[in-house]
Amino acid sequence: MSGITHTTALWYASRATGVVTLLLLTAVVVLGILVNRQGRLPGLPGFAVTGLHRNTSLLAVAFLAIHVLTAVADPFVTIRLAAAVLPFASAYKPFWLGLGAVSLDLVAALILTSLARARMSRRAWRGIHWLGYAAWPLAVVHSLGSSSDARSGLVLALLAGCVAAVVAAVAWRLSRAAREVPPAGRAAAILSRMSARKAEL
Amino acid sequence: MTGGLTLADLPMAYAGPPPGPEGPGGLPRLLPAAGAGPVDLRPHLARYGALGSAAGPGALIREVAAAGLTGRGGAAFPAARKLAAAGEARPAPVVVGNGAEGEPASSKDRSLLWISPHLVLDGLQLAAAAAGSATAVLYVRRDERLHGRLAGAIAERAAAGLDTAGVDLVQAPSRFLAGEESALVSRLTGKPARPAYRPVRGLPRLAPGRAALVLNVETLAHLALIARYGAAWFRTAGTAAEPGSMLVTLHLADGRTSVAEAPLGAGIAGLLGLDALADPPPGAGIPGAAGPVQAVLVGGYHGAWLPAAEAARLPLANEALLPLGAAVGAGVLAALPADRCGLAETARVARYLALESAGQCGPCFNGLPRIAAALEHLAGPRPDRRALGDLERWAGLVTGRGACHHPDGSVRFIRSALRVFAAEAGLHEQGRCRGTDPRPFLPVPAGRPASEEDWS
Repeated sequence: MSGITHTTALWYASRATGVVTLLLLTAVVVLGILVNRQGRLPGLPGFAVTGLHRNTSLLAVAFLAIHVLTAVADPFVTIRLAAAVLPFASAYKPFWLGLGAVSLDLVAALILTSLARARMSRRAWRGIHWLGYAAWPLAVVHSLGSSSDARSGLVLALLAGCVAAVVAAVAWRLSRAAREVPPAGRAAAILSRMSARKAEL
Repeated sequence: MTGGLTLADLPMAYAGPPPGPEGPGGLPRLLPAAGAGPVDLRPHLARYGALGSAAGPGALIREVAAAGLTGRGGAAFPAARKLAAAGEARPAPVVVGNGAEGEPASSKDRSLLWISPHLVLDGLQLAAAAAGSATAVLYVRRDERLHGRLAGAIAERAAAGLDTAGVDLVQAPSRFLAGEESALVSRLTGKPARPAYRPVRGLPRLAPGRAALVLNVETLAHLALIARYGAAWFRTAGTAAEPGSMLVTLHLADGRTSVAEAPLGAGIAGLLGLDALADPPPGAGIPGAAGPVQAVLVGGYHGAWLPAAEAARLPLANEALLPLGAAVGAGVLAALPADRCGLAETARVARYLALESAGQCGPCFNGLPRIAAALEHLAGPRPDRRALGDLERWAGLVTGRGACHHPDGSVRFIRSALRVFAAEAGLHEQGRCRGTDPRPFLPVPAGRPASEEDWS
């Protein structure tokens, strides 16, 4: 027998959705950094960047769910449902799968608090949302450690691309924060610039 | 640094019949009769009597509702509704008397606090009792002499055993937005006095589960009189729709500034001395002007300009002013003399308003400086016509898009100037201007470098 049988299909699905989830999570982190510093994407208004961040995160959750469920359902290695949620409870690669479980729990916390955002204080929501920064590197390391595909050049290149994108976004955010005018001076800075321009007319 | 008036400039004498029960409808009610100075505790008790303790909180709220008392801080929100909401809140809310008075053209709250502090403190106790609260805060604009006097008054009452709720005196920064309700709440929680986005309706919250009842200091003073003399007495001044009296800050055309108490519905012409000037000889002066007065600013720097001849026919009442895009607000009236440039005056204030942006909402801190710069350009000689188009576009973009109403109020004020001073704008295009007197008329605090400390 060759090709994908029903026994290997779940295994392939789990691996593929894992890679797609990581790509989507990377996009979510980069967009989240943009939203936090009022960044723009070419041709998109500010609110669209926020919308893209939210919708991409929901898409990532959908793929994450398939990734976890197919891994659990796949008979090739035995991963119990509890091991997908409880860190380091798996018999198969306990450490590397454990990182994935922590990442999954963090993402679940982000989603639940964002759904309940109107009912909780902004400070608590923000605090939990900051954990998003921890979910992403955990997912990257989980991919490297638990995936047998990571040794193939293409997946390794994808992972490197994801890391490069997030590093670039963080660098942009830090430089933006350093150049930021404090609130008390914002109007004055713009007013002096505009007055100078009008005087030239 | 405070803008415009200092306490030393405040008038200490007021014309009018004696107040209180002996002259029921007589004014002034809140301020002493002509010639009298600041009222200390003994003369205060001699004039108004001690606060009765017989009526419970529920009875007081019903009396305030029957009196139709509205907030005198500018928004004219029914005071009884706030008190009722505070009475139902558990735990009891902190009661705050708001005397931040960030508006540079207004000095009525400071005058009231200086001249009749015990009426305000009476009202604060009544509001605390209605809310079932043992804590009250008096939030007053930064001013050493005034704070000293108020601390003395609070101590004197405590020594006399008059008060049941303890009163904390808190300093408000001298910023335009310091008295905005959410900015006040932010200051009381130890943060800078910047407005906050507040999606929840009802009373503002100091902390989870701890609400605040915020009332303007003049509203509290009226509360103290309603508790003593009742709703029917309160309604002997004012109109049926807008009962009672209010303190107004008047900027007269001759440059004098005064604080007076007027019944709501009083003629603007009488308050500003426009009566004799209402009918200029045909062909004389500026179209729409009343003699030496060309326009009237109603409601302060978030208010609106009206042509003097139109304002001279209007009462000081929201019923008449709201359809014209103006409002009583906190009772600021300014009569702009005919020899000043209305565009230059508005541009100066617009620059001030732009710099008073808290720098939090993009549409506000990006938009208002651009609008102010465009208006400064239009107020100069031979402006580029495109500046008017820019201004209109930006004005549309900022309206309704701030956490507080600073962009909306500023744009309303600037747009009213473009309507009322349209003829002046035409003159500027020809390189001419009516402003022969270059002295600034409307008070604007002197510029200072922006710093974060200003806000706390």
